[in-house]
Amino acid sequence: MAQPTKEKEGSLMKESWNMVVTYVTAALLVFVLTFHLLLHSPLAGKAFEDTLAFGYATGNLVYYQVIFGVLLFTAVIHGFNGLRVIVVEWLHPTRLAWLLNVLVIALMAFFIAVGTVTLIVVG
Amino acid sequence: MKRDQRYKAGIISSLIPSKFSVERWSYTVHRITGVIMVGYLMAHIFETFQLGGGSTAWANTMAALHSLGPMEMVGLWIVAGSALYHGGNGIRLVLNEAFGRLMGKPILPVYPYSPTSLGRNQKIAVWTITALVLALWVWAGVYLLAGIGVI
Repeated sequence: MAQPTKEKEGSLMKESWNMVVTYVTAALLVFVLTFHLLLHSPLAGKAFEDTLAFGYATGNLVYYQVIFGVLLFTAVIHGFNGLRVIVVEWLHPTRLAWLLNVLVIALMAFFIAVGTVTLIVVG
Repeated sequence: MKRDQRYKAGIISSLIPSKFSVERWSYTVHRITGVIMVGYLMAHIFETFQLGGGSTAWANTMAALHSLGPMEMVGLWIVAGSALYHGGNGIRLVLNEAFGRLMGKPILPVYPYSPTSLGRNQKIAVWTITALVLALWVWAGVYLLAGIGVI
């Protein structure tokens, strides 16, 4: 009979680490996403249409570049890891679990790259 | 029942909401709103990418979005509602799962079994979040839809 893998005392299993990442990114997202939404809310002192103007959008990206960088990374990591969790809960992939992980990491890398290019070019 | 059939039965039964508890409803809506937001996130990253092309590229992108008519703002309103619910319920889940709050004290399992996770504090949290989210969603709706004359 196969012996269970011994975990180092106090260490977390892979899925537990995933949940830590989920909770940490979720906590960060509450703050940075609220900030992003407030920039497009009535509290910004503008009509919604005006918050989509080129000058306002680029100005925000330049002035709050670090916050938008954090938003990009946390949203992409939290979002695609969440999709992975939904697929795992519904389909219980065993043999193809590695393919799901590779696909999710590739998508994360792609969208982070596109967003980072935007932040660098506009900034 | 074969393993694959058992999984399919699980998927089908998870789509029948007639016997969902409050917690199960919040679980389902949390996942639906999450998927909506990931879809929007992908589109939003590509949309924002156009800013790098200058004001003309951005104007073309905005013109393409405006050509959707009222659906543009209705779509944004749905995304706003998804973000509000997912965020509010997410705070409850972090308090619950990561810090063990709102769980109540463990009780002896006496028939008919009632999960302690569905205790008074949890139900209050779920309904409070739902009420707050609905109020903010109405506010967002007035802001987004009134500007284009939908309401």
